Amino acid sequence: MNKKEPLLYISKRESITWQKSWMIRGIAILLALVFCGIITMLLTGLNPIEVFSTIFYGAFGTMRKSWVTAQKLAILLGISLAITPAFKMRFWNIGAEGQVLIGCLACAACMITLGGKVPSALLVLISLAASLAAGALWGFLPAIFKAHWETNETLFTLMMNYIAMQLAAYFIIVWEVPKGSGNIGIINQNSQAGWLPVLGGQQYLLTILLIAVLTGFMYVYLTYSKHGYEISVVGESHRTASYAGIKVGRVIVRTMVLSGAICGLVGFLLVSGNDHTLTTTLVDGRGFTAVMVSWLAKFNPIGMIFTSLLLVVLERGATEISSVFSLNHSFADILTGIILFFIIGSDFFTNYQVHFRKAKKEVE
Amino acid sequence: MKKILAMVLALVMALALVACGGGNKSDFKVGFITLHDENSTYDLNFINAAKAACEKLGVDYVIKTNIGEDQSCYETACDMADAGCKVVFADSFGHEPYMIEAAKKYPDVQFCHSTGTRAHTEGLANYHNAFASIYEGRYLAGVAAGMKLQQLVAEGKPAKIGYVGAFTYAEVVSGYTSFFLGVRSIVPEVTMDVTFTGSWYNEAAEKEAANKLIQGGCSLISQHADSFGAPTACETAGVPDVSYNGSTKDVAPNTYIISSRINWEPYYEYVIKAVQKGEKMDPDWTGTIATGSVELTELNTDVAAPGTQEAIDKAMAELKAGTLHVFDTSKFTVEGKALDSYKADVDSDEAYEHETEVVSDGYFHESEFRSAPYFDLTIDGITLLDTAF
Amino acid sequence: MEVVKNAVRMENITKRFGTKVVANNAVNLELHEGEILSLLGENGSGKTTLMNMLSGIYHPDEGQIYIHDKPVVIASPKDAFDNGIGMIHQHFKLVDVFTATENIVLGLPGKLDLKKSAQKIREICEKYGFDIDPDQKIYNMSVSQKQTVEIVKVLYRGADILILDEPTAVLTPQETDKLFQIMRNMQKDGKSLIIITHKLHEVLEVSDRVAILRKGEYVGDVATKDADQQSLTDMMVGRRVSLNINRPNPVDPKPRLVIEHLTAYDELGVKRLDDVSFTANSGEVLGIAGVAGSGQRELLEAVAGLYPVKEGKILFYDPDYDGTDKLPKNLVGMDPMAIRKAGVAMSFVPEDRLGMGLVGTMGMTGNMLLRSWRKTKGLFVSRKEPEAMAKRIWEELEVVTPSTNFPVRRMSGGNVQKVLVGREIAQEPAVLMTAYAVRGLDINTSYTIYNLLTEQKLKGRAVIYVGEDLDVLLELCDRIVVLCGGQVSGVVDARTTDKREVGRLMTLHKGGAENE
Repeated sequence: MNKKEPLLYISKRESITWQKSWMIRGIAILLALVFCGIITMLLTGLNPIEVFSTIFYGAFGTMRKSWVTAQKLAILLGISLAITPAFKMRFWNIGAEGQVLIGCLACAACMITLGGKVPSALLVLISLAASLAAGALWGFLPAIFKAHWETNETLFTLMMNYIAMQLAAYFIIVWEVPKGSGNIGIINQNSQAGWLPVLGGQQYLLTILLIAVLTGFMYVYLTYSKHGYEISVVGESHRTASYAGIKVGRVIVRTMVLSGAICGLVGFLLVSGNDHTLTTTLVDGRGFTAVMVSWLAKFNPIGMIFTSLLLVVLERGATEISSVFSLNHSFADILTGIILFFIIGSDFFTNYQVHFRKAKKEVE
Repeated sequence: MKKILAMVLALVMALALVACGGGNKSDFKVGFITLHDENSTYDLNFINAAKAACEKLGVDYVIKTNIGEDQSCYETACDMADAGCKVVFADSFGHEPYMIEAAKKYPDVQFCHSTGTRAHTEGLANYHNAFASIYEGRYLAGVAAGMKLQQLVAEGKPAKIGYVGAFTYAEVVSGYTSFFLGVRSIVPEVTMDVTFTGSWYNEAAEKEAANKLIQGGCSLISQHADSFGAPTACETAGVPDVSYNGSTKDVAPNTYIISSRINWEPYYEYVIKAVQKGEKMDPDWTGTIATGSVELTELNTDVAAPGTQEAIDKAMAELKAGTLHVFDTSKFTVEGKALDSYKADVDSDEAYEHETEVVSDGYFHESEFRSAPYFDLTIDGITLLDTAF
Repeated sequence: MEVVKNAVRMENITKRFGTKVVANNAVNLELHEGEILSLLGENGSGKTTLMNMLSGIYHPDEGQIYIHDKPVVIASPKDAFDNGIGMIHQHFKLVDVFTATENIVLGLPGKLDLKKSAQKIREICEKYGFDIDPDQKIYNMSVSQKQTVEIVKVLYRGADILILDEPTAVLTPQETDKLFQIMRNMQKDGKSLIIITHKLHEVLEVSDRVAILRKGEYVGDVATKDADQQSLTDMMVGRRVSLNINRPNPVDPKPRLVIEHLTAYDELGVKRLDDVSFTANSGEVLGIAGVAGSGQRELLEAVAGLYPVKEGKILFYDPDYDGTDKLPKNLVGMDPMAIRKAGVAMSFVPEDRLGMGLVGTMGMTGNMLLRSWRKTKGLFVSRKEPEAMAKRIWEELEVVTPSTNFPVRRMSGGNVQKVLVGREIAQEPAVLMTAYAVRGLDINTSYTIYNLLTEQKLKGRAVIYVGEDLDVLLELCDRIVVLCGGQVSGVVDARTTDKREVGRLMTLHKGGAENE
């Protein structure tokens, strides 16, 4: 061969098996961990093995930590499941943050205003209905505008987040205890009215079970139901959908109402089941993290269990690191950032192939 | 499948051992929960005290920063109890309900919550509140501010000062009123504008609030919020600032005068010693100047008016001697009238009932019926620019 | 004998995708200096892949490329340029908001001097007879002008070997003639050209020599003067292919679909259909002819319930209509679902196969479902029947796909169309409408489609065939409706009329004025 044989070149993959694509991601995570280890050593002088075992400890170190991790996993997974039908429809719903928060607000409103006035079990049901309705409304509004006036759903859903945030901030001041503190505290702390019942002595068990059921439901809904099929077709092309006799506007609205309602459900679980309070940061950006969860799992509900687990473990572990080694919380964010960079970057390798010329071999 | 499960479990245990293994120097362990981290002056003040107290007493400690006022506070407190902490401290008002939940769950662990209001009514043997008579510190800082203001008025500046508060509740109201009374003991004609940010830590909002007050003609600023927002704004505008929680001389060398702060070290020592000895603790503990809990940080003599130290010393001596009361009802009026009786909301209940008579012997008895402040009146001379929070 | 110099020589080129697909297998190809070579082959025969290796997009797994008899490695499009190779792709790579000049100089090294560049571009245009304004923005250009910009771009960069990938697919006959003239001008200037195509009459018209690929392998070459349509087809397909369309007589023709005074506007308020009336009979193939954009798409979509109708009627007569007691159904105002629910069996093969007729990311089964997903009861879709239908079409129409779940957008154009037509025919429609059913398809597949349509006609169905190739329309159809500017300019008997007459009607506006 002559002068400048290229060392490597890149071509688009025609197809890839799911095993291979998950393997690529696995390798990406391993590489990310190695890279994080090096960074940790260079910046802090700590033993990276210790750092990683601390991450693991932070997520699963004790029974309690494992339960909290499972609960956080359930909440993140729930939100991810909620936005997935919309995303499959290529309706870029980045308003999950607001849809969950408005569900939280509706639930808190019921618990505060009706606490002690109706039986607790009934109150739970009322709160649930209110949360579902509030979330559904937050999904319905951008959908109806999209369906009828072709508004940009990304901006619309994003702005709805701020409305929800401001409403929550306003009502926190209305309901704050004591006056002027900017805090609601635990709602119905003594009566526990409207609190989700505790199953088997584990506060989070019911939440986790509900989300597990929801995961199964969403998988079946998207894969086998007529609605799921319609969503796929609408996501592919509105014209194809019309051609097939699908009423595109109706599917958009219906799907977003479902998406919003599930967000509302998660909001209900957060307030009635977990935190028993309302703060503007209760959702804590998970409405946006969920986008990543859903995307990384290629909108597959079962895959989302793993992607959300990964993100939750990272977050929990990162918090643990920052306190155990007295590092600033930003250090934990750096590690999370590196790992996400690798995972998202690995998408390149699932879509493209890198060939090394000399060795005449394919390298993933 | 079983094999995999077993392997995972083994791994978990191995890692758990690794993580737990490191450096136990004593078998007595204490946990601290803070709302923010070292970047907040308020939390830094706690963190420093925690480290100092634990190192002095030679006990092991964990500090968890950035713990929100939500379920994560409960989980963290329980985590600490699980990890063998005998005492768990939390530093933010909003942590209280979650600390109470944790206290119910772990009756053998002491849960001590600073700035809270519910320990004396909740009836839990292992749940305690603490605060300090910081209104006295605020008053003294006010005296320093008054000296500076006197100088400024002589230079032709208006006798008006500004105050950046976080929320409109008693802790803040008590703080700015005592500060104002301190200033007025030097400059009788002073008035004060107060504005609120609705957050304990919001650098941008605090900066903006301080700028708003400066533009409104305030000659001197003080604040009760935890970022460097107000001091930074004052430094930029060249307006003197009386700080809180600790010295902000580093960020505002040309405008910082003095700062009052609660030194939590005495309280932490008190609690740790009491628990070590198995002694019973009060549900409510109020630190004072005498216990070393109320402190003034270094006086910036480059900015402060001459004679400031002397004026502070004099007022401090009178406070210690009991001849001076900050909330002396002869020194202020509410809606034009002297305050001869007031029922404060001391016991927390859902109706916010004001049930306890707190005015007697010619002064308002702050932080005596419980540690956390309950002075929540707006006295004449103070204007609230907004009350949204 | 004259010594032939090679501009390009490709030796034993092999290219694989993954482990299964061999796109090119030991291909040897020569391009002589100063000749126009046609690269002919059916869809999926590896023409474009082979050329992409010349232009640096792919890299061969095996084999050697020689440019002007020197061995070279082409690892990137830049290397290709450095070797004087320029490729004009089917899909243009232009920035819409830039001018022609800006697009042409984009990415070139050296100082940017747009004025000087524009001057150089004008010189090139003059030399070869291009007709573009260097200062015009791309979004203001017609497809043909955009293509011209692409060609000028490679000439500007000094290419002397030009590869054109199916350049005529997007052009009108007149534009095609112009392009061929330019190609001859370039040839006279000493450039060497390769044109990828599967249109035989173009091959015969423009090229000096034809090289033929079949299933990734090099079949051979032939001087154009020694070739004719039949011989080229046979080489390309690998066996004898009949180039005659069988046209039986109509079977018991009765009105099936009667269009009366149909008028429709687009969303901008432009009249797209203007008082259109005609009848489609059962048992015959009705052709619809017209220059592109004369209202063909709107007409079919209006009938299918996908285009808003302002005035007029679309009357559907049931196959078992006895002409007396039952009234025909008027389909105006119904959407596709309503039409289906009204019991009207209508099939429609739209022009935009992957954007309207099929779901690209789904496999054959998923696409069969597009027609039947509502038919089953309950909340869930049933995949059993669609799966069976997909398998039947897979076998009967010889669709090349690894499985019935392989995404159709990754299939070749011909296979995509087989899936679509196969599905629509499987609905046993009373009316079958097709728009440009053979566009972009190779000869073999095209004849498969013609035969399928004729079969439908023999089954007594009303077939509507919108086409662009007049030869085919005249051979396949029984009657032809000619559209011009949204109006019916004439209805002719395909057996008696000729190309000239139809061509005249295509530009005849009602009211007598002939267009241009």
